[in-house]
Amino acid sequence: MADGELELLNGYLVVGAILFGLGMIGFLSRRNMITVFLAAEIMLQGISLSLTAWGRYYNDFGGQVLALLMVAVAACEAAIALGMVLMLYQRKGSLDIVVWQNLREESVPPYVDRELPEVLPEKPPGWPHLTPAGLAPKVPPEQTGYRPHV
Amino acid sequence: MFSIPVLVILIPAMPLAATLATALLGRRVLRGRSHVPVITALGLAFLASVVLLVQIATAPDFRSLHDFGSLRAAEARHGYEQIVTLWTWAVVPGASERGQGSGVRGQDLGVGVRGSGSQLLTPHSPLSTSNSSPGRHGPALRSNLRSSAPSTQSPNSPHDLRVAITLRADPLSAVMLVTVTLISLVVAIYSVGYMHGDPGYWRFFTYIGLFVFSMTMLVSASNFVLLYVFWEAVGLCSYLLIGFWYHKPEAAAAGKKAFLVNRVGDFGFALGVFLIWTTYGTLDFHDTPAASGARFQRAGHVESLSRNVAQPPSAVRRSPTQPGAAVPQDAGSVITAPGVLGQWRLAEPGRFVGGATGTAICLLLLLGACGKSAQLPLHVWLPDAMEGPTPVSALIHAATMVTAGVYMLARCAPLFAVSPDAQQVVAAVGGLTALVAAVIAFTQNDLKRILAYSTISQLGYMFLAMGTGTASGSVAGMFHLVTHAFFKSLLFLGAGSVMHAMAGVIDIRRLGGLRRRMPVTCLTFLIGSLALAGVVPLAGFWSKDAILAALHQRASAGDAPAFYQGLYWLSLATAAMTAFYAFRAFFIVFCGPEKVSLEAGEHPEKTSPWMAVPLVVLALATIDVGMHLELTGSLENFLERTPSIVALSREEGEEGERGSRGVEEWRSGGEERTLRTLSPSPPLPLSPSPLSIVLWGMIASAAGIGLAWLMYLGSPGVKRRLTGWMEGAGLYQLSAGKFFFDRVYEVLVVWPLEGVAQLAAWFDRVVIDGLVDLVGSVPRAVGALLRPTQSGLIPIYALAMIVGLLVLLGTLLAS
Repeated sequence: MADGELELLNGYLVVGAILFGLGMIGFLSRRNMITVFLAAEIMLQGISLSLTAWGRYYNDFGGQVLALLMVAVAACEAAIALGMVLMLYQRKGSLDIVVWQNLREESVPPYVDRELPEVLPEKPPGWPHLTPAGLAPKVPPEQTGYRPHV
Repeated sequence: MFSIPVLVILIPAMPLAATLATALLGRRVLRGRSHVPVITALGLAFLASVVLLVQIATAPDFRSLHDFGSLRAAEARHGYEQIVTLWTWAVVPGASERGQGSGVRGQDLGVGVRGSGSQLLTPHSPLSTSNSSPGRHGPALRSNLRSSAPSTQSPNSPHDLRVAITLRADPLSAVMLVTVTLISLVVAIYSVGYMHGDPGYWRFFTYIGLFVFSMTMLVSASNFVLLYVFWEAVGLCSYLLIGFWYHKPEAAAAGKKAFLVNRVGDFGFALGVFLIWTTYGTLDFHDTPAASGARFQRAGHVESLSRNVAQPPSAVRRSPTQPGAAVPQDAGSVITAPGVLGQWRLAEPGRFVGGATGTAICLLLLLGACGKSAQLPLHVWLPDAMEGPTPVSALIHAATMVTAGVYMLARCAPLFAVSPDAQQVVAAVGGLTALVAAVIAFTQNDLKRILAYSTISQLGYMFLAMGTGTASGSVAGMFHLVTHAFFKSLLFLGAGSVMHAMAGVIDIRRLGGLRRRMPVTCLTFLIGSLALAGVVPLAGFWSKDAILAALHQRASAGDAPAFYQGLYWLSLATAAMTAFYAFRAFFIVFCGPEKVSLEAGEHPEKTSPWMAVPLVVLALATIDVGMHLELTGSLENFLERTPSIVALSREEGEEGERGSRGVEEWRSGGEERTLRTLSPSPPLPLSPSPLSIVLWGMIASAAGIGLAWLMYLGSPGVKRRLTGWMEGAGLYQLSAGKFFFDRVYEVLVVWPLEGVAQLAAWFDRVVIDGLVDLVGSVPRAVGALLRPTQSGLIPIYALAMIVGLLVLLGTLLAS
């Protein structure tokens, strides 16, 4: 086997490991649920990268098949996880993961770094809005009136 | 159709079936109709008992099972018994190896057998008997055996402890069965009225059914184990029924007391049974015949063997006192295992073990009887047992269960016959109990407790009769048992009727002059009181007279005449006291100015027919039964055919000096008596009482009744003076304090036990619980250390997960 192949594998594995490590650090250090989730995704991608690299090294498509499978599973997982994040956010009005610590022992004092409001605001905050920026484009009236596809 | 074995099985089976029916269906289905199956079963059982009685009365005397040959043709009176073996309950092979003295003799026998070179008579036995032999000549003999006798595992090897469910039919059992089933039938009918509307109605009738089953089994059991089992079973029913209203603390405590006091007696009884086992090597009452006569028939060498050995196997083990006693040898049948009270042993009094062992057996059995029959040291439970429903008091604690002790004494009379010391103890216990209980009854104010002490006193009478050790004494005791069952249950049911009408008030100081409101109860109670007092034509008179006559007869012949003469006068005095307290209760409750308890209101309810009819039936029976049985002599003739009692009279006859009946008389009548039937009645075995005894008895009753009338109706001045004098002498306090038995037991037994129990409880609480808690605190402490890590913070968990992963990876890579 050529030396180039081994070096190529090494390079990919290093990149995969860096991705994995970055994801792990993000997973441990971040408190925003979405960020935590993204960090987990980065770890997954690091692993799928190394799988592909091994697959190429051994000339075996199994690695790539596994990577494709991981993409599919990650997609499903993302759908579920984002749905859950949405639910949690609607409950407490916050994306902070430390808000959820109900599973602790009774005798352990809760970790509080920031007081939550006693009562939730009457109207839960709506969807995040993008601030409108720039000028609204001028649309000719015939474009708005004419709809060739309907 | 109804042969005796079928009847003997049917009589207990029917109450058992009714019990099961009410136990399963009573609560949901039958409810207010729970009495129907029980009363039906009791009625059928009563009819079956009567049929059984008649069949036994007309059956020829026992002689076929093992005829003792021409040797003893002259004393061919064996009585009647029939044994029904249902199934074998337990077998312990070779258990009697541990029997006393068997080792040596067994070895002798083994040598003898080997020397003669013949086959063994009872294959299994001599080998397993000898403790020392199997190592030496056991195997050889055993192989010898297998070749000669194919049925090595004989079902009747006499050395096994073989407990069979064996019932017997004999006159004694039959009399008990008829009494028990009749009284329980009447009481069950009465209970329909008395217990009406009680939430535990079905439970009550279930217990009654269970009791009658146990009691009928008790009186028909034919071995000591079965007797003991049902002895306990009736005790259990008694406990359940005393504590029937268990939400009342007194009732629960009384049930517990009865159970505990009975434990003392039953402990003695159990020891007695063990001693019988080690002494006689069997627990059966009856002889067990050889399983197959053929096995022995072909052995012409049986005779030679027995001569060689000088002791045939069945006699070998037991009868250490009679080394030369020859076992019955007949061409056709051989007894493999003589029972404790079987025909073989009964044929000669010498075949019972006397001496210290015999006396010990008798005294232990007496202790058991004292517990169950509430005799002197152990009588304290019976008065408290009155907390139970009144029909229970009438049935169990007056008429039937408490007489089990008397029954046992009658059954074991031959054992007592060889131990005059034990007999005198029985008589002394009975006489003392009769007196003390009568004295206590003077001052009780609870109508049911008066009757309870009266029951104790009357049971003492029965013990007194049993203590004479003569056939006439035993018969008189059983006679009193029967009549007492009638009139005492009548009195209790009358008291129950009063209690029912007066809304539960039973204190005689709060009652008075009820005769107008409750005429039926008044009249029947009067009849019962007269019978209890022993007034002339009623039941109690005849049986009491029979006991007095038996005592007098014993005092005039036989050893220790002064002792029995003293007991005779003591029982006469007790008779007067009995009359006094019976009529004290009657006069206070039913005569004089009317006093009605406040709870009952102005119009106490009428006695319901369910309750009135049994009262009347029992009253009629009370009037009739004593006179009938005494004047026709049928009970005496009948009971004298019980094997145990036959043996007593035979013994008397042989001694030829005791009793009014000489040897010649019954020897000459012996032949015809072997086949005699109930009627026409032969000459009375009980001598008619001398006129003086009858007169003295009547005077005693009259004196008692007269004094009661004088004190409670005639002139209150007499009462004041008498009670004042009694109080001055301290007798009143003694009587009212029940001779301070409870107090003494409390100090001597309850307090020490309580102290020990408290100490044990302290030890348990502090030391043992402390150790257990210490062990338990270890995981708790570890948990307390680890608990802070369970913070609920998800990043921390994630960190733990990753650290764990790294550790795993590190170990994998390092290895």
